Amino acid sequence: MLHVDNLSHQILKHISFKLEHNQNVTILGSNGSGKTTLAKAICHLIHNDSVTIEGQKIALLSAKQRAQYINFIPAKLGIYDEYLTVWDYLNLNIIQEKQSDHLHNVLELLGITHLKNKQCHKLSSGESALLLIGGAMVHQALYTILDEPTANLDQAKKVTVYQLLKNSPYFHNKIIITHDLNLAYKLRYNILFLEEGKVQYHGPCEPFFEQKHLKSCFGNAIKNIDGNFMVNYDETL
Amino acid sequence: MKLFSILLAIVLIVIAPFFGQIDLHFEDMLNNASSSHMLFWQLRVPRVAIAFFSGAILSLAGLVFQSLFRNPLTTPFTLGVASGATLGTAIAIVFFAGTVFWQYLFSFGGALLTVFVLFLISRSLKTTQTNSLLLVGVALSFFYSAALMVLFFLSDFSQSYSIVRFTMGSLNIIGFGLVYPVAGVSLLLLATIHGYRKEVKLLLASLDFAFLKGIEVGKITMLLLLLTSLAIAVCVSVVGPIGFVGLIVPHIIKTLYQKSSDQLIFPTFFYGGVFLVLCDLIARNLGASSDIPIGVITSLLGGPFFIYLILHRNRGR
Repeated sequence: MLHVDNLSHQILKHISFKLEHNQNVTILGSNGSGKTTLAKAICHLIHNDSVTIEGQKIALLSAKQRAQYINFIPAKLGIYDEYLTVWDYLNLNIIQEKQSDHLHNVLELLGITHLKNKQCHKLSSGESALLLIGGAMVHQALYTILDEPTANLDQAKKVTVYQLLKNSPYFHNKIIITHDLNLAYKLRYNILFLEEGKVQYHGPCEPFFEQKHLKSCFGNAIKNIDGNFMVNYDETL
Repeated sequence: MKLFSILLAIVLIVIAPFFGQIDLHFEDMLNNASSSHMLFWQLRVPRVAIAFFSGAILSLAGLVFQSLFRNPLTTPFTLGVASGATLGTAIAIVFFAGTVFWQYLFSFGGALLTVFVLFLISRSLKTTQTNSLLLVGVALSFFYSAALMVLFFLSDFSQSYSIVRFTMGSLNIIGFGLVYPVAGVSLLLLATIHGYRKEVKLLLASLDFAFLKGIEVGKITMLLLLLTSLAIAVCVSVVGPIGFVGLIVPHIIKTLYQKSSDQLIFPTFFYGGVFLVLCDLIARNLGASSDIPIGVITSLLGGPFFIYLILHRNRGR
């Protein structure tokens, strides 16, 4: 179980929630509402005393143990080493020896086998996004936080990633940050909606997407057309 | 190609002791009592050996510093570590005249003290501010130069000459006594860096990434920097501050190999050694009445290269 207890940091104010085993959550919220800050606090990139995993304070875990429990996939690859290849990158995600045979499989599932020997610096933003997800599939932490995993992907790749998130045995518990309401709706995970660093909504998926509730969160910027959530570009704010 | 360059390098190392101002007489070489035998085994071979291991240490240390500080201009030399050693040696020359032992000890102490000062300062800098650390290195170097000037005024003529001679770096050693510690330290450094190659690779990829993969970022960085600095301190105390090797060699190796850091460790070590042997070979055979100091040769090459790096380091990013 993952437990965040009264976490306050920068924009975040008194955030508390629990994530049981085999439970996933989608974090929604406007730009600057604190989604990524929350993610970084949960994985301890921002040091804090409020997060407990499997009954142990994350601050007190050994580095190795922490890596087995939690992983955070940022929105951008951000590799400094200009000669690091895709294959190198995937290998660095191995934290337990037994996973090494999965690497080819992961490349194949994501359809990026042809990029195996390419340098990470030369990848397009979409290819980088796929590689990031590949890294998470090799790492296989108990909890994986993915920050906007589909933001840079084309439509077909979005479907691939959605299928992987939904069905792949490579992920255990997922925390997904996204702006894509369709993805959030299709995943049917619990929703955690942040507004200016506070939890506005935490609960099941369906009530969140009711027209009335949606309007209270996003105003008229979103239109529900037959269960698809379209951005209403004609809306004058 | 790779095999060819390794063979070429080995040939270079093997023939290097045969060239110098005094011609060797091959027929005397096997005669233990001859001057050629003595020259070859007591001067030339130890000199090539210490050149190789010093070059290897300086280059590998450069690679480690550049990787950990993520800046191609960061080397133990540009951060002022070598200047610290120089000041230490100068203090020993002026106040403990004549005893070589104190020179080594103070030189080692000066380098080590500089490393600790850098550590203390780098703790209060953010990890992204490596440029600030470089500036601290420059400031330290200026401070040491000023202190060195004071020592010049306190010293007599022969002491001044000894100090100047040390600052130029010298591979002039007699016998193998000093080769062993330098060789031992260089191999220890190589083994350690090789042992931590995955950690270095992770740290070079991204600090957050390394953290998430279960690396104790602060601890590992500290350990590697400390060990590297120790190796540098040993090296500088013996051969003096030989500049820019740690800047030039890792950069050339990286450009040629185009591989991630873990595959550069052995080439940097090996070709770093070969590079200094080659520089020394040039220094010894330019035809001057006495050898041109090795530090002068490397700085003549390194100064322009440093500027080249500053002009090109942001290219392609």
